[in-house]
Amino acid sequence: MNSIPDVVFFVFAALAIGSALVVVIARNVFHSALALTLSLATVGGFFALLGADFLAAAQILIYVGGIMIIMLFVVMLSQRPAATLERQTNRQGFWGAVLALAMASALIIHFGLAYKTVVRASILTPTSQAIGRLLMGDMVIPFEVVSLVLLAALVGAVCFASELPEGSKR
Amino acid sequence: MFEIGPALSRFWQIAQQAGTSHGLAPIASLVLVMAIQVGLAILGVLLVPIVLVYAERKVSAFMQARLGPMEVGPFGIFQTIADGIKLFFKEDIIPTGADRWVHIWAPIIACAPAFICYAPVPFGKNLLLVDLDIGVLFIFAISGVSVIGILMGGWGSGNKFSMLGGIRAAAQVVSYEVPRVLSVVPVLMFYSSQSLRQIALAQQDRWLYVVPKWFILYPVIGQVAFLIFLICSVAETNRTPFDIAEAESELVAGFHTEFSGLKFALFFLAEYAYVFLASAMATALFLGGGDGFLSSSGWIPSWFWFLGKTFAIVFVFLWFRWTYPRMRVDQLMSFCWKFLLPLSFINILLTGLWILWR
Repeated sequence: MNSIPDVVFFVFAALAIGSALVVVIARNVFHSALALTLSLATVGGFFALLGADFLAAAQILIYVGGIMIIMLFVVMLSQRPAATLERQTNRQGFWGAVLALAMASALIIHFGLAYKTVVRASILTPTSQAIGRLLMGDMVIPFEVVSLVLLAALVGAVCFASELPEGSKR
Repeated sequence: MFEIGPALSRFWQIAQQAGTSHGLAPIASLVLVMAIQVGLAILGVLLVPIVLVYAERKVSAFMQARLGPMEVGPFGIFQTIADGIKLFFKEDIIPTGADRWVHIWAPIIACAPAFICYAPVPFGKNLLLVDLDIGVLFIFAISGVSVIGILMGGWGSGNKFSMLGGIRAAAQVVSYEVPRVLSVVPVLMFYSSQSLRQIALAQQDRWLYVVPKWFILYPVIGQVAFLIFLICSVAETNRTPFDIAEAESELVAGFHTEFSGLKFALFFLAEYAYVFLASAMATALFLGGGDGFLSSSGWIPSWFWFLGKTFAIVFVFLWFRWTYPRMRVDQLMSFCWKFLLPLSFINILLTGLWILWR
């Protein structure tokens, strides 16, 4: 009997799917971005529901507190008020739906078969120590490679954004 | 004087047993007891701005050789409550050009995370809602959500000053979040835990039976980390040396220009709740939590020590606000990225060396 987590799960699932739909349906880009924020936040809720405390906090910290704020920032800086009311969809709705359904069913079938026997933790369990050991132990090379790639992307972004003074050579 | 924490947890146990023995299902009585606890916690957080607004007005008045509020109640102590009632009855205006739903939800989203953030804060011995293993990270993660409320307020008002204020707030808070998290990393490394309760407990020791082993008293690393945390916390709460988001001489009132009545009160509440939260975090992380410096198990209870230290840091916040002039936007950003960030990296490095050689 795990009735309360089940109820919470279905509430979160409805919120995640509903807000994801709003992302693609809403005409206002700002509304879409807000709905995406809610959708990403509910993913953090799923992590918490599965007992992965570190992942839940990291999801909220990075996606909601970092990436989505930058995205809203970009919308506010770049959009003219009139441009926010244009249609976000084109005439390819049918094929888009087919593709999305195919992908969704493939994912559901794959994960439904692969993780049938996974037992979920009923409460939040401390996982940050284990994740730290994994990242600095077995996974240290992929971890460092990923950080290098991110660093390169960061430097590249700065290079693109910086305006060189007149007459200087690149 | 006695410890509230253990007594309260015993009381909730008894309440839950009473619920079960009076015919409630065990899960129902658990949920009921938890709901009451959460309700009490929310009431407690609601009390914080009432006290802090009064403190702010009085402190600023004394710093400027004035009296401050004196009319409502003795020394004006009921002034904030009267103001709250006034705000409650004020007309709620949604501007015609506003994005209606964004405007309505903005203060709620700015305010609600402030309540959730209080869950892992230990206000004394065993006096906390949940002992989260990721306590510090949890607070940083949830408090970041408030910025979205500020952005929504800036955009949803349909007003260029609000929008500029929202953009400034977002840029500032996202920037200062980075050195703020990094300034806490030495503490987490030193005590190898992220739970605020365990960090506070680990500092209850003495050098030569006299000097408390609080993190701020460790030479160099402690003070540098504390200073970076304090400066970034002031910036995070959009208070005066860093209040370009609501700079009244340039932007009317920034992102909350178009909010009136209770919505304005919610933005206000969020700001003061975060000031108190930052002070409580600084107390737990750097000042030994509920550890008294006269004696570790003295007759003064730990919750009293904790609140005393927290209010001392709140006073520093108020002091900052009424002392320093506002910084310019570019100064603010270069101070964050070119000074605080490298300094916090150096501090992490120093702490690593300390841990290696201890």
